[in-house]
Amino acid sequence: MKKLYPYSPLIVFFILILFFARQLILKEDPSELPSVLLEERFPEIILKKLDGYKLFSVTNLMNANSPSLVNIWSSWCVPCKIEHEFLMRMSSDHNILIYGINYKDKKEDALKVLDLNDNPFYAIGVDLDGLQSINLGVYGVPETFIIDSDGNIRYRHVGPILEYDMQNIILPILGKIMREKI
Amino acid sequence: MKTIIKFIFCIFFIVPVVFAENNINDKNQDAYDLYKELRCLVCQNQSLLESNAPLALDLRKVVLDKLEEGYTKEDVKTFLVERYGEFILLKPKYSVQNILLWFGPIFFLLIGVFVTFIFLRKQSMNKEEGISLSKEEADNLKKILDNNVP
Amino acid sequence: MIIELGHFFLALALSISIFQFLLPALGVKFNSYGMMRSASIAAFISFILVFLSFLSLVYAYITSDFSVSLVAKNSHSLKPLIYKISGVWGNHEGSLLLWVLILTFYSAAVAILGRRLPLKLISLVLSCQGLIAAAFISFILFTSNPFIRLFFPNIEGEGFNPILQDFGLAIHPPFLYLGYVGLSVTFSFSIAALLIGKVDTIWVKWVRPWTLIAWVFLTVGIALGSWWAYRELGWGGWWFWDPVENASFMPWLAATALLHSSIVAEKRDTLKAWTILLAIIAFSFSLLGTFIVRSGVLISVHSFASDPSRGLYILLLLIFFTGGGLALFAKKAPYLKSGSLFKPLSREGALVINNIIFASAAATVLLGTLYPIFIDAINNSKVSVGPPYFEAVFIPLMVPAILLCAFSPMLSWKRAVIENIIERIIAVFICALFLASLIIIMNDGSASAFLGLFLGFWLICGTLYEFFIKVGIKSSFKIFIQRALNLPRSAYGMSVAHIGVAIFIIGVTVSSAWRIDIEKPIILGEKTIVKDMEITFKSIKRVAGPNWNADRGEFEIITSNRDKHFLYPERRFYPASQVNTSEPAIMSGIFSDLYIVLGESNDNADSYALRIYYSPFISWIWFGILLMAIGGVLSLSDRKHRLGYDLKRV
Repeated sequence: MKKLYPYSPLIVFFILILFFARQLILKEDPSELPSVLLEERFPEIILKKLDGYKLFSVTNLMNANSPSLVNIWSSWCVPCKIEHEFLMRMSSDHNILIYGINYKDKKEDALKVLDLNDNPFYAIGVDLDGLQSINLGVYGVPETFIIDSDGNIRYRHVGPILEYDMQNIILPILGKIMREKI
Repeated sequence: MKTIIKFIFCIFFIVPVVFAENNINDKNQDAYDLYKELRCLVCQNQSLLESNAPLALDLRKVVLDKLEEGYTKEDVKTFLVERYGEFILLKPKYSVQNILLWFGPIFFLLIGVFVTFIFLRKQSMNKEEGISLSKEEADNLKKILDNNVP
Repeated sequence: MIIELGHFFLALALSISIFQFLLPALGVKFNSYGMMRSASIAAFISFILVFLSFLSLVYAYITSDFSVSLVAKNSHSLKPLIYKISGVWGNHEGSLLLWVLILTFYSAAVAILGRRLPLKLISLVLSCQGLIAAAFISFILFTSNPFIRLFFPNIEGEGFNPILQDFGLAIHPPFLYLGYVGLSVTFSFSIAALLIGKVDTIWVKWVRPWTLIAWVFLTVGIALGSWWAYRELGWGGWWFWDPVENASFMPWLAATALLHSSIVAEKRDTLKAWTILLAIIAFSFSLLGTFIVRSGVLISVHSFASDPSRGLYILLLLIFFTGGGLALFAKKAPYLKSGSLFKPLSREGALVINNIIFASAAATVLLGTLYPIFIDAINNSKVSVGPPYFEAVFIPLMVPAILLCAFSPMLSWKRAVIENIIERIIAVFICALFLASLIIIMNDGSASAFLGLFLGFWLICGTLYEFFIKVGIKSSFKIFIQRALNLPRSAYGMSVAHIGVAIFIIGVTVSSAWRIDIEKPIILGEKTIVKDMEITFKSIKRVAGPNWNADRGEFEIITSNRDKHFLYPERRFYPASQVNTSEPAIMSGIFSDLYIVLGESNDNADSYALRIYYSPFISWIWFGILLMAIGGVLSLSDRKHRLGYDLKRV
């Protein structure tokens, strides 16, 4: 047993290496945060109406017939523009209900974006100062939440939804939720 | 010698009276303390105090608002942790999960003291045992000593 | 053409390094004089090759050769010359080449200065250095090659992060690397000693100067980085316990411990196994630092563009060198003969306590830095460990070390008699108590400020007192001067360095305890009063620089003695990279800094967000660290004399 004492630094070192190796293999982005609201009810937030569009409120999500997406976006957000195409595809091709939260934006600018492009949102709520979205744990735009038909948050996607994300993350999760109901 | 020690003891009791801990129960001081303890989530390693990012400014507003509403510092931290997770705390919570972190330093010191203690004991044990001679060496020594006796 | 030559020289250097590793090692095994002698030749040649290789890269940067991929990505023709040159190491590939250059430089230096060392020892040391060089050169050539050409050369470079164009930032990597890589020498010496199986006086006499060299460079490098951050980053802080900062701090803590333990090893021929272990650990911290900065495993303001595949390679390097070193230690250390004894209460005992504290401090910084990784693996949750943790934990750890530092030079070796010095301790205690209380009362300070001041004064008074006793304060003036001149430089070095620590502590304490932080919107003509200064927002102008446009504010400061100063903080916009930065304006003085940051204007552009920081005594932080480095240099100048002298006698 005494003979093992000089080996202790080596043993500690190898434990460290195991942790490093795990971190490298996982290739996670250390700055990305998973949502802490997973499996919880969508928080009661109060949003303002955008003229000419249905108002999105949390009641839309409760006791719905199907899962839905809640997408946080702004007119000044460049990745949101890129994501728009994929939101449209999910909304029209896959008939997915998408609600939008307009984040820290000017109403005129938001309306302009919606006029110039197709509208993927079934209903829209406006969060002028961003403080309502803080209740969702939002820390940037765009973010998208997947909500099941009982109004619980099942997944939070950080960043734009692109082809890969749509095919490999969003659609599969939505499919899984719908199968649960059966 | 004894008088000097008494003198020192007196000083120990006087000194705390001499200065006062700045106990401003000021909302602004509480906010300042909280900013230092909360992470700016969109920056690389800055606190809310240092960052000028939009989200940081928003979170500072939230902190101030909640303090105005009467939340304590702990309440504000809990409020934010509920929404963003423990990651937003720059000072890790005192929880069972973090027990290694908070007790680590003392643990290292204790290991150091323990190892030193063992080392010193081994040292003194070696000295007491002395070095014993092998049989051959003992015979040689006897021969030399015998030869030197006139 | 020049770049290809540089590339070729580097590849050649790889082969030479492999020879430098193999031949002397085999020479030791087969007792071949010629093979062992080849080590120094190999060391020289590989240094010259790497130097030429590095020069070729510098040439490419200076001439803005955008056909070289690295130059195209990281440089720009409009950059001032000095930043073109410093751009060579401002990226992953170039900085690695600098690393290798410094490594081969150290190897060559060891080869020259150690030519009279026992042949087996110097051969194994150079062999180890050769292995390290070979490993890093192959890392460069196979994964991070700076010499790659672009098929279609760029017309202009892309490299223009404005924050990086600062003198402090430009020269801090070379200093840091001189420190990190310097620790490879003590590492190699330790490996050699373990392989030979014994540690004699020659070995110990050699560890100390090389540790000192590395330590001095590390100290200056860290100070430069911190000073840059203070001047550039706009929030008045100077240390953020960021993973990359910690990555440089850990080797520094280990090197400091090594410095002190090698004193015991040299004077008293004991603690040798521990000194060897520390040397292995110190260099491992250097390698770990490289890993943390370049692998992207931790979030940091400072990291290079991260690449997990590079991280994997560095991890392999770590496993090989640190794992190998620690394994060798585990096997061979028990057979090293231990030396003389000492009682716990003695100079050795105090230095052992110093080592326990510094080793614990290094382990603590490591724990805090890596903790997010541990928790993520074990609990799958994200935790962050920031400055509040480190400050809460590190400072209490250091307090006993500072307390001890003042009077442990008064302790005698082997066995100290406490009665002799207890009067001195009490005198220093009262003195420090008095000075600290005085300042606290006069300036309305807090308990933590009192503690900081007390520690600083305790250390100054203790060090000065010990110095004057050594020199003979009670004797006549003539004898005093004579003894002062005869005092070995290392004694001066120690006193100066310790006083540097004290000044650092006082600087930290005062600048944080009595700091004034004002944040408010300000309109033109508005006056703000900070301490005894009137600060008026005089004007705001649009100005243009070589690659930026800015709003420059003019602030007039009138001090209590009616002196006028002007400060010009700016909000800059760099069109090339679409980046907005805030350039703070700092008025630095011996006793305080005034720091003004201009923020954004409101929509009507009639008021601006303003931040003013008043930091008293903040310059003392860097002045203290500078003194520490000067102390190290003083000690070094002493050692070198004796080193050559002793070897000649041997």
